[in-house]
Amino acid sequence: MKYVQYVNSLIKGAVKDNGNAVLFGQNIDAGSCLSGLTRGVSDVNEGMTLNTPNVENTLVGVGFGLMLNGVPSVFFMKQLDFLLLGIDHMVNTYNVIRQTQPDASFTIFPVTVDSGYEGPQAALNNFDDFCSIAGVEGFSFTNKADSDKIINEYMFKPGFRILSTGQRLLKLDTLNLDVVYEDPEFKYFQYAKGEAVSIVCFNHALAYGVELKDSLTENGASASLFSINSHLHSNYDHILEDISRTRKLVIIDDSKSRNRLSDRFLADALSVCDLEMKKIIVPELRADSFYPREDSLDIDYREVVEEIVSK
Amino acid sequence: MEQANINLAKKTIWLRLAQSLVNDRSKNGEFKVPVHLAMGHEAIAIAIDAVMQKDDALLVTHRNAHYNLARQGSLKEEMDEYYLREDGLAQGRLGSMNLNNPEKGIPYASSILGNDMPVACGYALGNKAKGIEAATFVTTGDGAMEEGAFYESLLFMKTYDLAAVLIVENNDWSLATRIEERRAQINVERLVSGLDIEYVCLDSNDVVDYAQKLEAIRARAIENNAPIVVEVKLTTLGYWYMTNDQHPDGKFINYHCGTAPDVQACTQSVYPTIDETNADPLFVLNQHFSKEQLIAFSDEMLSNLKAELA
Repeated sequence: MKYVQYVNSLIKGAVKDNGNAVLFGQNIDAGSCLSGLTRGVSDVNEGMTLNTPNVENTLVGVGFGLMLNGVPSVFFMKQLDFLLLGIDHMVNTYNVIRQTQPDASFTIFPVTVDSGYEGPQAALNNFDDFCSIAGVEGFSFTNKADSDKIINEYMFKPGFRILSTGQRLLKLDTLNLDVVYEDPEFKYFQYAKGEAVSIVCFNHALAYGVELKDSLTENGASASLFSINSHLHSNYDHILEDISRTRKLVIIDDSKSRNRLSDRFLADALSVCDLEMKKIIVPELRADSFYPREDSLDIDYREVVEEIVSK
Repeated sequence: MEQANINLAKKTIWLRLAQSLVNDRSKNGEFKVPVHLAMGHEAIAIAIDAVMQKDDALLVTHRNAHYNLARQGSLKEEMDEYYLREDGLAQGRLGSMNLNNPEKGIPYASSILGNDMPVACGYALGNKAKGIEAATFVTTGDGAMEEGAFYESLLFMKTYDLAAVLIVENNDWSLATRIEERRAQINVERLVSGLDIEYVCLDSNDVVDYAQKLEAIRARAIENNAPIVVEVKLTTLGYWYMTNDQHPDGKFINYHCGTAPDVQACTQSVYPTIDETNADPLFVLNQHFSKEQLIAFSDEMLSNLKAELA
């Protein structure tokens, strides 16, 4: 099953369970239905499902207005860059409303454009920045296990947050991994426990981490593998204990943000862990970073494995 | 004169006096938060308060002092909020520009130009989702009207048949510039007619007239499930003339926020008009009441306010 189909089934399940929400956004119930992401939601939603005009600033404000009136809602958005037009409400409106601890939920569900071929808007693989600007709770998800838990827990939970995944991932087969440990609030998941190194993935980088772990296994070494879902800084004690044990850390973050959560995580790790080795893999800012180019990390897994096992 | 109209007149005078008392404290430098008074805007604020019914809502801008006072019906809580005291209307959490009062039908106030209109769209949509027949009032100004959110919100309200009344307080000024100094003229009537939205202009500054018209406007918005735009032409009083070497004859300073230095402190037996023209809603009340009646109303309202603050 393609990941978009799986996420679509989770969305419909959550909508059906919630009963009476306002679902809105551009073409969410028409045409391709956001490339299949929202296909069929009106069939299960007992509340209003609105194909809206192209008024993104107003649409973010609408969600907060619904929240003030006690009505849960989800604003589905084809591309994260559309949310730039609604930042006023994410900051100024939310900073007023968050003081009242509203009973209703408002979730913005954008797709982060990370395939790379859309030009400048594909350069906004920067979910960290949207969450950082007003301390907005935000979760990304990358696979069967974490999307299941996060969508069901958060899509209609009272309060405001952003849920997002990558455009690139949605086109791929669903990544299905066993979970070794999950944070009680699903802020991160652990997918493997090993001895040679702790691999911590951010944004949509889990697939790279899986490939590195598998490469280590082929070379007779084992790795712990984590993926961070919450884009706000959190308590990482469980992960830091693992790093303190392996004393080797690989961070993989495919976000183009210059305000990466992984930087704060690294500061945490350096302050409490006695590291023998660390490797940080993030996108480089290049001359062609804003051209239509594939948005992927170029990782030489053999070189990274050698670095891990040699130290 | 009917008792209802006497009450409207008394409330209009009360609102002027209450704002003047805030201004007195502003002159003493007692507030750290920026207070945007709305002397000259009393007629529209009292009229909206008079027509609002259960489940109606009013979303307001940074210049919300008049609406919050009108809805609350007392001064002390708002004054305490300006002092950021725990006894304030919002326990000192919001100050002035974001001051709301959900218990009195003001769920949201915004300090950002154009910001409250999209939120009002959502609030009105919420009424529709819940099957509630009520009007959502939202205020904006001739400056905020320049923002894209104005057009976006009108389109949204019209698209989804929302019972909303959008009040454009047109005082001709944005900060220190007149409309003619900063932009082309906007014909609001023609702009909203392009979206097939009803337009009403209010320019009499007469609270009795405004209350009658707004009651009908509210009813039409609900009955037709349609937004209505009401442009209110008014003057923000408290302006003054600055004299210096460059301006020996005085330079006009429009009141925007903070202290209105030329507005006099309230005293008994003095009717508190600021401008002896129809630009002042208190002056307009002379059309309905004798001078002696208005002074009596004013004395009664001032006594009530002083007792409240004592």
